[in-house]
Amino acid sequence: MPELGRAALVVTLGLGVYALIAGAAAARLGRRRLALSAQNALIAAFVSTLVAAGVLLTALVRHDFSFSYVARTTSKALPTPYTVSAFWGGQEGSLLLWLLVLTAFGAAAVRLNRGWAKSLVVWVVPVFAAVIVFFSFLLVAVASPFATQVAPADGAGMTPSLQNPYMLAHPPLLYLGYVGLTVPFAFAMGALLSGQLDERWLVATRRFTLFAWTALGIGQLLGSHWAYVEVGWGGYYAWDPVENAALMPWLAATAFLHSVMIQERRGMLRIWNVLLVILAFSLALFGTFLTRSGVVNSIHSFTQSSIGAWFLAFIAISVAVSLALVFWRLPLLRSPTRLESPISREAAFLYNNLLLLALCLTILWGVVYPMLSEAVQGESVVLGRSYYDFFLRIFGLPLLLLMGVGPLIAWRRASLRSLATTFRWPTAVALATGATLLVLGAGSSVPGLVAYTFSAFVLATIVLEFARGTRARKALGATSWPRAFTSLIARNRRRYGGYVVHASIVLLAVGIAGSSAFDSVAEARLERGQSMRIGDYTLVYRSLDERQVSNATEIRATLGVMRGDRDLGTLQAGKNAYTIEQQVSNEVGIRSDRLTGEDLFVIAEQIDPNGTVYFRVFVKPLVNLIWVAGLVFLLGSVIALWPDAREQRRLVSREGEIGVPATS
Amino acid sequence: MIALSVAAVLAIFLLYTSIAGGGNPSISPSELGSRAEKVQLAGLVAGPVRGDAHAAGLRFGLSDIDGESRTMVKVLYRGSVPDLFRKGRHIVVDGRLRNGVFVAEPGSMITKCPSKYAPKTSDDPA
Repeated sequence: MPELGRAALVVTLGLGVYALIAGAAAARLGRRRLALSAQNALIAAFVSTLVAAGVLLTALVRHDFSFSYVARTTSKALPTPYTVSAFWGGQEGSLLLWLLVLTAFGAAAVRLNRGWAKSLVVWVVPVFAAVIVFFSFLLVAVASPFATQVAPADGAGMTPSLQNPYMLAHPPLLYLGYVGLTVPFAFAMGALLSGQLDERWLVATRRFTLFAWTALGIGQLLGSHWAYVEVGWGGYYAWDPVENAALMPWLAATAFLHSVMIQERRGMLRIWNVLLVILAFSLALFGTFLTRSGVVNSIHSFTQSSIGAWFLAFIAISVAVSLALVFWRLPLLRSPTRLESPISREAAFLYNNLLLLALCLTILWGVVYPMLSEAVQGESVVLGRSYYDFFLRIFGLPLLLLMGVGPLIAWRRASLRSLATTFRWPTAVALATGATLLVLGAGSSVPGLVAYTFSAFVLATIVLEFARGTRARKALGATSWPRAFTSLIARNRRRYGGYVVHASIVLLAVGIAGSSAFDSVAEARLERGQSMRIGDYTLVYRSLDERQVSNATEIRATLGVMRGDRDLGTLQAGKNAYTIEQQVSNEVGIRSDRLTGEDLFVIAEQIDPNGTVYFRVFVKPLVNLIWVAGLVFLLGSVIALWPDAREQRRLVSREGEIGVPATS
Repeated sequence: MIALSVAAVLAIFLLYTSIAGGGNPSISPSELGSRAEKVQLAGLVAGPVRGDAHAAGLRFGLSDIDGESRTMVKVLYRGSVPDLFRKGRHIVVDGRLRNGVFVAEPGSMITKCPSKYAPKTSDDPA
């Protein structure tokens, strides 16, 4: 069995090398048969990687401890779902997952686009193949998941904190996101190499980018939810380098998804878009590197591993080569159109891009600063939470406001008069909301109040857009209001899906502002029967119970919760002591208010032998909106991603005139 | 081009702010010496752990992770103690040296959690 896995990976490497060399030669010399053969090699690489993945999965499920990887990451007692998740629980397995997703994306992108964008795809193949060669080389030569040993009686098992459902979905989603960003990168490089720098490469990759971006977004949110519910320190994001590693490419991809529209519509920002794609791809690689190399001080400790240097070299080479390509094609990349006015949709999108990029660079700077300062000053300096929070406000709040302005402002040039008409109602709604909240006492946090006001503004513009569009469709002959509404979305999925995603970002902003700017905390050491107050909640510590389960001792403190005079029932918080792993984990108690989205969050920080417990309690207003935002985000993305027959027809009919920026 | 120049300006801006404000040196116990400014101390929990983090404070020693130096810094810590804290673990605390004891800021302790990516190493007593 391990031989089959090893052989399959060698075959993948061989196919990758062939697709790289044959593909490049075919594209250079214009050989159609050879190009087709290279494309087929790329698709075959997916099949051989699938075989390798199948071997590892089988070994995991069958508890075949003669595979060192299986013995290191699982044990016999481990429940089957986590045995499967051990596939991405270790370094070699997650690299294999990278390669599997990479080849799958490569095969799909080639198959879907070689019909209508043939001359572009021939150049995409060698680029994709180069990335495949890198990963399959690592798996064959540096970090093989198929190393064998004399089988021990049982495996080492999995860290308890990873044995939860979040770890089934969170890492694969992040990988889908990271790897998916290879598709726009490969097509951008293909466009540069072929010199076909019209907007075809954007059209070919739009859905791939959107898909990768959605997966990355949902994956991060799941990670945050895991941190909130399972890790139990009372927060959901700590600006940890490993969290930042996923946020950076997401921000770069967000900027790209917006600026693409400007290029499609007006032929502008061509250089910018290529650079954004290079940035997003490099950050995806950098993210993988960060989680593997151990160069950063993270709450996730990573042992120094052999593949860090390889990654750094690969990032350096791909950045250097792609920038050289951009430089080489600079004359072809020059835009035929210019920005006409600083008050226009193009300009608003440009500001949005700059802010997103600024936020991305802020985080990148924070991540690499400890390393840079170590190199320059000989002492590593770590930037704390205040650094990130400061810049999140500086760049994030204007970004929030622009989200309401951008989609409504006129193309090319907007007059101040038209602005006044367009934004009259949203501004009124925002000011009214702000004033009301100020009266209600939200002035305790100015950034929080500003965030709420801006959020109200954006929501008002979105509602206005839906209302206006629905009314127009009704006037155009839709039979009923609901039908007018659905046909509105169906006829322009990208636009209205986008609005739904915007609404989710508003929910996210409100949730973050509520839970970070208006939260409260209280702590106390309580004996049984004693109580503590936080806000209008009263908590009474009733009892302490100990329970023995198969792998752990569970200690739970039971608290009675009252809000004002109303009895809200009980809440449990405590600790699990894992016997074999000799590890303790906090099990927090959370009571969510369905109506207001507020959480009462209880940590039993310290349980003394005499039964007194030191409690730390948070009240987090609106925090549940963050998780709701994830669902709305997914909905909006699915609307925007949904196949659109009309769009396909438009594409085909435009293929002849492509390259000429559409005017209107 | 406008965009690129703005990005460059932003980069300088970031450079400036991070040098001017915020940020603590991250050092190991052997590098602490008698430095009195606020630092982030990263080390291995060594020696007996005594006291109550929610009363007079938790007291323990912190030594270098790589183990080359024998230096051990006495640490006084109050506030939340992460799940994974115990002798032999890698931790990070913010604080400053006062009268020979490193007084940590309440609630600043971070333990490095055993990650899914890290194979078990010899210094991991689990």
